[in-house]
Amino acid sequence: MPHDSDDMFEADNATRAGRGPIDHPTMLSSCARAATAAEARYRVNYPNSRTRTSRIVALDATAAEAMFRITEDPWNNAHFLALSSAGDVDPAKTAAPDLPLSHPDGAAADLGVELDGADLVVLIAGEGRSAGAAEVIARECFGRNIMCAGLVLAEGKSEAALDRVVNSIRAFTRVLVVARDGDYVPAMLTALRA
Amino acid sequence: MLKKEINELLTQTDAGTPMGEMFRQYWIPALLARELPEDDCPPVRVKLLGERLIAFRDSKGRYGLMDEFCAHRGVSLWFGRNEEGGLRCPYHGWKYDYTGQCIEVPSEPEESGFCEKIKLRAYPLIKIGDVLWTHMGDKENRPPEPVWEFATVPAEQTYTSKRWQECNWLQAMEGGIDSSHVSFLHSGALKTDPLFKGAKGNQYNQQDKKPVFEVVESDGGLHIGARRMAEEGHYYWRITPWIMPSFTMVPPRGDHPMHGHFWIPIDDENCWAWSFDYHPVRALTPEERQAMMDGYGVHNKYVPGTFRPLQNKDNDYLMDREAQKRGETYSGVWGIAMQDASLQESMGPIIDRTKENLVSTDNGIIMARHRLRKACEALRDKGVLPPGREPEHQKVRSAARVLPPDEAFKEAMKEDLTARPGVKQTSV
Repeated sequence: MPHDSDDMFEADNATRAGRGPIDHPTMLSSCARAATAAEARYRVNYPNSRTRTSRIVALDATAAEAMFRITEDPWNNAHFLALSSAGDVDPAKTAAPDLPLSHPDGAAADLGVELDGADLVVLIAGEGRSAGAAEVIARECFGRNIMCAGLVLAEGKSEAALDRVVNSIRAFTRVLVVARDGDYVPAMLTALRA
Repeated sequence: MLKKEINELLTQTDAGTPMGEMFRQYWIPALLARELPEDDCPPVRVKLLGERLIAFRDSKGRYGLMDEFCAHRGVSLWFGRNEEGGLRCPYHGWKYDYTGQCIEVPSEPEESGFCEKIKLRAYPLIKIGDVLWTHMGDKENRPPEPVWEFATVPAEQTYTSKRWQECNWLQAMEGGIDSSHVSFLHSGALKTDPLFKGAKGNQYNQQDKKPVFEVVESDGGLHIGARRMAEEGHYYWRITPWIMPSFTMVPPRGDHPMHGHFWIPIDDENCWAWSFDYHPVRALTPEERQAMMDGYGVHNKYVPGTFRPLQNKDNDYLMDREAQKRGETYSGVWGIAMQDASLQESMGPIIDRTKENLVSTDNGIIMARHRLRKACEALRDKGVLPPGREPEHQKVRSAARVLPPDEAFKEAMKEDLTARPGVKQTSV
């Protein structure tokens, strides 16, 4: 029976489209019973995911300031990295290990090492002056099949300034979020189990 | 993943809860206008935000929405007699007007004024478009009347339906801002549904199942952009607006009418899924209107005499595994609305979000939850009224368009995403 036939809707609750009358009673596993709150307590209780490996990269000073506010929070396996050079880099001349990254304590970080086994990279941008660095990171993520997301901090910016920031990383991310509220950084990372 | 206490904050909407108070800051759809079709028609039971109410239309065409139960002995006024300017309890004859004021207590001397001491809690009920809207919050914070485009275009250009969905409002609403499921769950319908098929944009949807997402905050909520590959390096953009707390629109396809939803809590384990279709510049054709009434597009068929979908959890949504195998439906459930509802109801009455594993493409959902939480807390802690109440926030549209790769939807589609009377929707 075609699915868009009106005949389908003439079936009452005791028949199934195309199969005639139900030849068995409603089973305990049917949708009605399975969707009750009472049944929810029988859901198998176990950790259904392994710890994720997330790398959060602040691309400029504004982003680093927002990021450093939360690095001491209890994260799962997230590493927080900041671009430590004042100017942008030339992506054509910069390999992953040469990208000037640092940990929150100031120790140098190697992008290649940091991306080993990573599931997710989040680029945080607040100023729009690091398109070159974003390209280097995105290139490395692409080569390793790592999801690269972007988070633009919009708080206090004019439309034009915001557009500059967005345009600086748009091409390098599979998901781009423009957040007016700095609190979104921990909210997003928590939701993603970073 | 959401912490348990935040999940509870967002999903509980009874009076006195933070999210319940937030919903009470808005005009929300309460009934279809056709549920009260004429003066002195039968009253209708309504449950909203965990409150049992009765709606009626009096002899002068005034709409009333008030506590369902008579103040005398607690009888349901669904049994009431709607007559001569009020709703009369059939037990002892107490009568109430459309404001909930008791106007007759036959057993007491009329001169005693006793009835003036009796008043049922009542909310305003106004008709705009096909919908009767109510505001269940304090009168002093009543927002301007709603100006949603679907409710303000001429009657021949719009159609609204509602269906009972048996799960919490938030998991239903989150389906409305989850653009990435369309290429999977609704892939069959894109080819066959008369209100979707034939659009050029459908091909882009089918060809590129890994869209790139852009989530941008707006004054009233969010714009969620999904970008897929089009010809010559261009991008096909589909933009879904979400306006707080629970209005969403589906990006349009071709010249088909535009559609969208409201997700309104009945109680914490049930909600109304309101679905509308409208065309900004032309009347719906008889065929389109018939298709909507027949359950196509975002609408559904009903158990006769109810707003319960004909496909429901008691009949396993008329699951058809053979149609699934034939490729006619992706999940085996017929119809876009019930494809969504069946999966959302399967999560249970209120999903335990502490166990979910969101990914970065879920950022629309993450951001919506974040904004709802912030707005709830601001209202609760500082009395700040939430976004989405202002008419300017409500003048939105979804849109679909092909753009060059260097153009951002936020700038390039600014006008497309604004409701403009008499201007056709932007669609592909």
